[in-house]
Amino acid sequence: MLSVLSVEIRKLNRSLALLLALAAPCLIGIFAFFNISRFDRPGPWEQWLTTSVGIWAFFMLPMSVTALPALIAQMEHAPRSWDHLRSLPVPRWRLYAAKLVCMLGLVVVMSVLNLAITWTAVELAATLKPAIRPTGVPDVAGTAWLLAKVLAAALLMVAIQFWTAMRFSSFVPALALGIGGTFFAVVATGAKQGVFFPWQMAVNVLSEGWRHDTALALGGGLGILALIAAVVHLSRREVL
Amino acid sequence: MPAIVTQGLTRRFGRHLAVDTLSMTVPEGAVYGFLGRNGAGKTTALKMLLGLLKPGAGQARIAGIDVGRDRIAAARQTGALLEAHGLYPNLTGRENLDLTRSLLGLPRVEIDRVLDVVEMSGDAGRRVGGYSLGMRQRLGLARALLGAPPVLILDEPTNGLDPDGIADMRRFLKSLPDRTGATVLLSSHLLGEIEQTATHIGILNGGRLVLEGELARLKADLPPEIDLRVDDAGRARSVLANHDLTVTDQPESLHLELRPGQDVDATAAALNRDLIAAGIGVFALSPRARSLEGIYRAVTAASAPRAPETL
Repeated sequence: MLSVLSVEIRKLNRSLALLLALAAPCLIGIFAFFNISRFDRPGPWEQWLTTSVGIWAFFMLPMSVTALPALIAQMEHAPRSWDHLRSLPVPRWRLYAAKLVCMLGLVVVMSVLNLAITWTAVELAATLKPAIRPTGVPDVAGTAWLLAKVLAAALLMVAIQFWTAMRFSSFVPALALGIGGTFFAVVATGAKQGVFFPWQMAVNVLSEGWRHDTALALGGGLGILALIAAVVHLSRREVL
Repeated sequence: MPAIVTQGLTRRFGRHLAVDTLSMTVPEGAVYGFLGRNGAGKTTALKMLLGLLKPGAGQARIAGIDVGRDRIAAARQTGALLEAHGLYPNLTGRENLDLTRSLLGLPRVEIDRVLDVVEMSGDAGRRVGGYSLGMRQRLGLARALLGAPPVLILDEPTNGLDPDGIADMRRFLKSLPDRTGATVLLSSHLLGEIEQTATHIGILNGGRLVLEGELARLKADLPPEIDLRVDDAGRARSVLANHDLTVTDQPESLHLELRPGQDVDATAAALNRDLIAAGIGVFALSPRARSLEGIYRAVTAASAPRAPETL
């Protein structure tokens, strides 16, 4: 399994997927820099870090999870390399599982980069404009834990996007699904039913009480099941 | 033991019967030309051999291993170049080979070996996105050769190549069994390519194998043919009536089909003598080379009326 995973990681070399993994957290960092710079008085560290996690969970994560599986899947669909891969003496489920692990790894890296780049952006803004240096101490561990819960709640959305992107050789179904899901998540942010909507589960983890628990349990639990089902289905189906 | 054997291999796509009870045998060490027009079912058959498609009926064995029962063991005996190369354009040729090498668990020296075989060592450091089609084909072949599999399955390896690329590929394919010891199953719709490369052929028509055998033997079994150009075709025909052959009118000549086993040189000499003796001017009297095209036309014409591709 390690060799298959290593192959997947090496395929990312000079790929658009890797570029996206760097670009998305950078955009949040750029926004954080200009957002904090417009203030004249300092705010607490918690405010900036939580805002960054919120933007990530609300918009950038769903959009990234739309594009990333599509780009990773197109690395095989575009040169039509599934036939080559699937004809090798390697269990097919490993090929798909390695792709999935690779994609989840990239989302984890993006989450970590989101935290690191936001911290850097705030520090940079405070260095250029000392009057706005945030108060208190940045709770890096707490923010990392929150990001981990956001990712866990997003697993169902990740599974749906991964499945669609791998199943269809055209990138359109995966993009249309992801853009549609993100659109409804954004325009119906306040909807109570949003906690049951895969594209809103990540942002619902930022709430408290039953919404937090339900989003985490449904997104994480169903997400893991859906990911397993996706790998099983993809490895058994014929690619015509 | 034959390198590849199929028995009653069948595959439908909905109502379309793509491969119909295909039973073929590829002897060990052969270059087997798998012929048929586009859509004849060649790629579907090859995909079943590689375990990419499941047959509706029948079975395929590679080096004695049942593909349906143990795909992975059969795949260990096989290297394949498919119509779609499946190369990653963002990676170099060497990086592309290294991915497959890792999946096959082979040592790194394998990459240099196969690059040497396809004469691509000098270009392996360049990104595949900048390769010509011919270079991609050769890199795909190098990838198929990783691990020196005893069976190579090549689907239309000359497709899309320019004349120089086709000549290079032909030279390379001919030398493959000697260089690698592998049995080669080569699909193509180009008769000339197969004729110059293959030792054995199988002809697929409408999903059915209509002819199979050693190419030299099949050619030898063809009736000899002679093209004749004279100044008076009518009088010549009456002279030819005294000989045991079939005469067909062509636009500017007469086409003579001899009986199987008849000595073409002796017959030509006798014809020439008789025509001259009858005062007929002979412009050309040329034995026609026995060609794969002749075999192909004969067997596909014989099976042409059948149209059950769609049931």
